[in-house]
Amino acid sequence: VSLIPSRRFRGRLWALALKELRQIRRDRRLTISLIVPPVLQILLFGFALDADVRDLRLGVVDESRTAESRELISAITENRTFRLAGAYATTAVLGEALGTGRLDVGVVVPADFARFLARGQPATVQVLLNAVNANTAQIAQGYVEGAVGSLNRRLGTARTPARARVELRTAFLYNPGLVYTWFTVSGVFGTLIILNGSLVSAATMIREKERGTVEQLLMTPASALEVVTAKIVPLFLLLMGMAGLALTVARLVFHVPFRGSLLLVLTACACCVLTGIGIGTFISTFARSAYQTLLISFFVNPPLAALSGAFTPIEAMPKWIQPLTHLNPIAHFATIARSVLVKGAGLDVVYPHLLVLALLASVLVGVSAWRFRTQLG
Amino acid sequence: MQRIVAQARKELTQILRDRLALGLALVMPVALTALLGTSISLTVTDIPIVVQDLDQTPLSRQYVDAFRSSLTFRIAALPPATSPEAALTAGWARAALIIPEHFTREIRRGRLAEAQLLVDATDTNTARLTRGAATQVTGAFARQLGASRSVPAVRTATRLWFNPGREPRKFYGPGFFVLALSIFPPLLAALAMSREGEQKTILQVYASSISAHEFLLGKVLAGMTIGLLEWLLTLTFLLTFFGLRFAGDPTPLLAGSVLFLFCVVSFGALVGGAIPNQAAAIQAVALGGFLLAFLLSGLIFPVENIPPALAWISNLVQARYYIVVVRDAFLQGGGWPAVWWAVLAIGAIGLVYFGLAWRALRRMQVKA
Repeated sequence: VSLIPSRRFRGRLWALALKELRQIRRDRRLTISLIVPPVLQILLFGFALDADVRDLRLGVVDESRTAESRELISAITENRTFRLAGAYATTAVLGEALGTGRLDVGVVVPADFARFLARGQPATVQVLLNAVNANTAQIAQGYVEGAVGSLNRRLGTARTPARARVELRTAFLYNPGLVYTWFTVSGVFGTLIILNGSLVSAATMIREKERGTVEQLLMTPASALEVVTAKIVPLFLLLMGMAGLALTVARLVFHVPFRGSLLLVLTACACCVLTGIGIGTFISTFARSAYQTLLISFFVNPPLAALSGAFTPIEAMPKWIQPLTHLNPIAHFATIARSVLVKGAGLDVVYPHLLVLALLASVLVGVSAWRFRTQLG
Repeated sequence: MQRIVAQARKELTQILRDRLALGLALVMPVALTALLGTSISLTVTDIPIVVQDLDQTPLSRQYVDAFRSSLTFRIAALPPATSPEAALTAGWARAALIIPEHFTREIRRGRLAEAQLLVDATDTNTARLTRGAATQVTGAFARQLGASRSVPAVRTATRLWFNPGREPRKFYGPGFFVLALSIFPPLLAALAMSREGEQKTILQVYASSISAHEFLLGKVLAGMTIGLLEWLLTLTFLLTFFGLRFAGDPTPLLAGSVLFLFCVVSFGALVGGAIPNQAAAIQAVALGGFLLAFLLSGLIFPVENIPPALAWISNLVQARYYIVVVRDAFLQGGGWPAVWWAVLAIGAIGLVYFGLAWRALRRMQVKA
C-alpha cells in the first residue's frame, strides 16, 4: 500500500463522504442535536454554575446593644457576602433558625462587649456557621475573620499607633474581577465537545449496524478503511462547526477573554473532536442497537465529565484519582482552553497537553476504526 | 388492584431479563455516588505556591515556614531564573508569594511590612480560598510576632455546626445520592414505557381489560420497587463508606424518599409515554434527569446563585427539594419543622408528572 492515496481512493472516499454528508443533512434530528443541546448547555452551565459565596443569611443576637456592637455588625455586613436576615433575642432561637435552614451564619455579641473594649480587654464574639457546605463555610469564615481583623486594625491604630505589622497584598492575575463564568465556560467547552461528539458519532455509526445497511457498504468496492474515513470526515467537520458555535457563544455572551492564539485553541478543538468521535465509535462497536449505545454512554459520560477538573479543581480530588485525570481528554482540553484563552499562554506552555490530546485522539480513532473494520469483515 | 399488581409483576420480570439495564440499575447508583461523592469537592487543600524571598533573613524564612506548615498550602520549588508569573502561567503553581527586600527591617522598626501574593484567578473559587487562607496565615504570623506587645480588641470564636470537620464528602455524598436517584429509576421507567410504544405492544395493552391508570400504576409500582432497591443499596453505602449518620428524625427522609421515587418514576413514565423511541427517551431523561439535577438543584453550586431568569426552572426540579430533605436528615437534623415544605413540594410535582403521564398514555391510545 502506497502512502499517497491513489486517485481512485480519493474518488471513492469523496463519494462516500458525500453520502454521509447527505445522510446527516437529511437527518434533521441529528442536525438539531448538533446545534440546540450545545448552545443550551453552554448557556445553562455558564449562567447556573456559580460557586460565588454571597448573600449568606446572617442572624444576629446583640446582647450588647451598643454603638460598638452595631459597628461590628456593620463591619461584617458591609460587603455583599452577608446579608442581615434578622435579629434574634437569644442564642437558642438563633440556633433553631440555623438548624431549620433559615440562616447560614449567626453572630452572637455578648452583653459585656462594649465594656471589655473600653477596658482594653479582648472581647470575644461567637460566630456560628452552618458548615454543611464545606466550601461556603470556609470562605464565609475567612470573610468574617477578615472583617473582624480590619475592625481590629481600625480600633488598634487608634489605640496603639506603633507596633509590628505584617500585611499581605493579594493581586488576582488573569481574572481580577473574579468572574466565575470564565472558569465554567472554559471548562464546559471541552465537556460539550466530548459528550456531544461521542453521542452523535455513536448514533451515526450504530445506524448502519442497526438497519443492516452494513451489507450494502460491504458490496461497494470501497475498502473498510475508506468506509471508516468517510464516516469520520463529515462528522469531524460538523463537530468543528459546533465547537466554533460554542466558542462564539463564549466570546459574545460570556465575554471570555481570548488572550492567546485562536489557532492553538482550534487545534486543540480538532484533537478533542477526534477523541470524541473515537469514544463514540468505540462505544458503537460494543453495542447492538442505538438504545444500547446510549446506555453504555451512561456508564462512561458522567464520570468523564465530573472527573475532568472542568467544574471542580483536580487538586481537590482524592490522591488516587488525580493521576487518572491524565487520561481524561476533557481535563487536558480544559487546561489548554484556560491557559490559552484566559491566561494568554502559548504553545511553549500547553504543548504537553496538546501532545497527550493528539495521542489520545489517534489511539482512540485507530482502535475504534480497527474494531469497526473487523466487524465489517 | 389485582390487575395493578399483575402489571407490576410483569414489569419486574421484564426488567430482570434485561441484563444491561439491570446492571445499570443496581451498580450505577452506588458507583456514581462512590466515585463522585468522594472526588468532587471545591475545597483544595494542597494548593501549590511558589515563593520568591528577596529578603532571605531568618524572619522571612519563618514566614515561609508558616505557609509550609499550613494544611492548605504546599511550597513548590521555583526554578532559578523563572519569574513567579511564569510559574503561574505554566500552571505548576496556583499562587506566588513575594517577600520584598527589607521585610525584616520594616518589622523590626515597627513599620508596615508588606508581602505580596499573586493568585492565579482562573479558578475564581480556589483564588478566593487561597486569599482567605494566606491572610489567615499572615495574621497568625503577625500575632506571633506581636504577641507580647498587644492583643486584638475583638476576637472571634467560630463554631462550625453540622459538619464540624468541614468534610466535603459529607456534603457531596448525599448530593450525588440524589443525583443517582434522579437518573436511574426514571431511566428504567422511561425505557419500559417507550418500549411498549416502539414495539407496538401497547396495542395488546389496549386490547386487554386493564384501564389506563391501572396500567400506569403498575408500571410506576414496578419502577418504585427497583428504585427502592437502589435507594436501599446506596443508602447503606452512605451509612458505611461515607460514615454518615442520621442527625435527627429519619421519618421526613423516608416519606420524602418514597414520594421522590414516585415523582421521578412518573417523570420517566411521562417521557417514555410521550416519546415512543427508546434512544430518544434516554436522551430526554439524560437532559431532564441528569442535567437539571446536576445544575439547578444546589448539588455543587448554591441554588441562591442561580440568576432569576433560570431560578423558576429550578423551583420545578424535584431533586432540588429532595437534596434539602437528604442533607437535613444526615447533617442538620432539623426534622419535619425544617423540611415539611420540601416533602410537600416533591409530592406535588410527583402528582403533576403522574397526571401528565396518564394524559400522554391516553393520547398514545388515540394514536395507536
